[in-house]
Amino acid sequence: MILNLERFQVQARPRWTSLESLLGALESRPDRRLNPAEAQQLQELYAQTATDLNRVTHGALAPELRQYLERLVARAYAELYYAPPTRSEIWQPRRWLRIFRAFPETFRRQSRYFALAVLVTVLGCALGGLAVRYDPASVDVLLPADYLRNPGQRVHEEEQGQGEHRNSAQTEAAFSAQLIRHNIQVALLAAALGVTFGIGTALLLFENGIMLGAVAVRYTQQGFGLFMTAWLLPHGVFEIPSILIAGQAGFYLARLLLHRREDRNVRQSMRDWLVLVAGLAMMLVWAGIMEAFFSQHHAPVLPYEFKVAVAVAELALLTIYLLLTGRRETGAKAR
Amino acid sequence: MTQPTGASTSVELTIATPEGVLFRLPLAGPASRLYAMLVDIVIVLGTVNGIGLLGYVIFAKVPGFGFMVITLAEFAIGFAYGALLEGFWNGQTIGKRLFHLRVIDQAGLPLRIEQAWVRNLMRVFDALPFAYLMGGISVLSSPLMQRFGDRVAGTLVVRQTPLAVPAEESWMRQKYNSFQEYPTIAVHLRREATPELAGLIQDALRRRNELAPYARREIYRELAKYLQSEISPFPDELVERLSDEQYLINSSGILFGDQRPS
Repeated sequence: MILNLERFQVQARPRWTSLESLLGALESRPDRRLNPAEAQQLQELYAQTATDLNRVTHGALAPELRQYLERLVARAYAELYYAPPTRSEIWQPRRWLRIFRAFPETFRRQSRYFALAVLVTVLGCALGGLAVRYDPASVDVLLPADYLRNPGQRVHEEEQGQGEHRNSAQTEAAFSAQLIRHNIQVALLAAALGVTFGIGTALLLFENGIMLGAVAVRYTQQGFGLFMTAWLLPHGVFEIPSILIAGQAGFYLARLLLHRREDRNVRQSMRDWLVLVAGLAMMLVWAGIMEAFFSQHHAPVLPYEFKVAVAVAELALLTIYLLLTGRRETGAKAR
Repeated sequence: MTQPTGASTSVELTIATPEGVLFRLPLAGPASRLYAMLVDIVIVLGTVNGIGLLGYVIFAKVPGFGFMVITLAEFAIGFAYGALLEGFWNGQTIGKRLFHLRVIDQAGLPLRIEQAWVRNLMRVFDALPFAYLMGGISVLSSPLMQRFGDRVAGTLVVRQTPLAVPAEESWMRQKYNSFQEYPTIAVHLRREATPELAGLIQDALRRRNELAPYARREIYRELAKYLQSEISPFPDELVERLSDEQYLINSSGILFGDQRPS
């Protein structure tokens, strides 16, 4: 049956107009909450307009009218079925502070992916370390930068204060910003590479592990173990775990994509990925500051034992934070 | 619940609501998204350089700290621009608004703030290895035209040109319709014409001025001939007096208008 378009439009136009003005009012409202009268009105107008759309779709070929009604129904549908967070809540600073508790909680909840990231990195470390130990020729391949190949010269320069980074707070600040940006970019990439079903994440972690293992063995072989520990650990105790957490986020994402249909609560799972990324970014800010302002100072300005002690203290605090924060509340909730 | 349908000019997502209503959302193609992104990049670069200049003045005494603040601010703005605007401004950045694009949830709902952050953070992957090659490949190979960030976040970009209630067509408003004098044949026309055929006639009339004169003559002649010979044989003495166009206008008056055969 072909619809009598003219008569139909005259009858229906008033309700389309009132739906349009109701939607306009709702969409401009920041929290998008409906009061009961509005909700009822929206529901009624939505149902009527949807019926109109069905009639136009099946009873007439009026492409423009159909498009117009589809747009209207889509907008009404979105308002009816969307349960928004209240926007005023989002702007409360206390909500943002929740990240400090959510981060360790999420870290523990998804700890098996962290274990996987550690495993891949340790394998890389072992390969890099063994290669340098038993095949000195591999050093040229594994450690491209000269200062990594010949630690003696670098240590001498650093200790004489002739390294690239002089002890001026100005250059240190600039250096720290570059470090933070670079490290967050790399970590974010590791977390995003989860879309390659985790293969990219694994490769990145593995390569990172090889470098780490090779450098460690090279410096230790040549008798600069303490220097290296004091040089790398004050920032490394945050930097290395944060790259591991990036790997954790990457593997978690891979698992999420592989099992999307089983996972009913996509929203919560996405939030977990975001929380991990936000947490590791905070860690990398600290690592960048430490690397620029603290790690680059060597004996005799700062005794190596003191630097190592600081690193150990940092690691202890980080461990306590990640393993214990919010534990009681989580346990109580579980019960 | 949702499924993409291909058409010659654009790709659409069809959404079935729980009430059994179907509606289509036109998806945005890579070109318009690229333009919108270029606008956004210009805006971000402008903002960042503005902040840079400001920082340069404020931190003139301590350039190192100035550099630190500016670098970090730039970095944060790069990600936060898209995420915050899309999250709080109905799925639109300034570039997207200019090009009538909008990011929405795959189910046709407004996107959530988490989704906005995820799809914008995933840009580090979509931008690989250069010039958003990964994202481009993903858009072209995805039935929903999603880049990897969209796939992860469960979002898509739709076209949203503003629409008004279509005005009545002038050809619908003619007062006198000679076909009404032959009610039996007119009723037959109403009954036999399929919605597709009716739409074809309507479309041909609506596009009158878009068609080249030659093409218009041909199309109108074919349609009128078909109607006259297959569906509604009006008397020859009437048809001879009418142009093909008038024949179609009369037919559509019978089909769509208030000029019901009495």
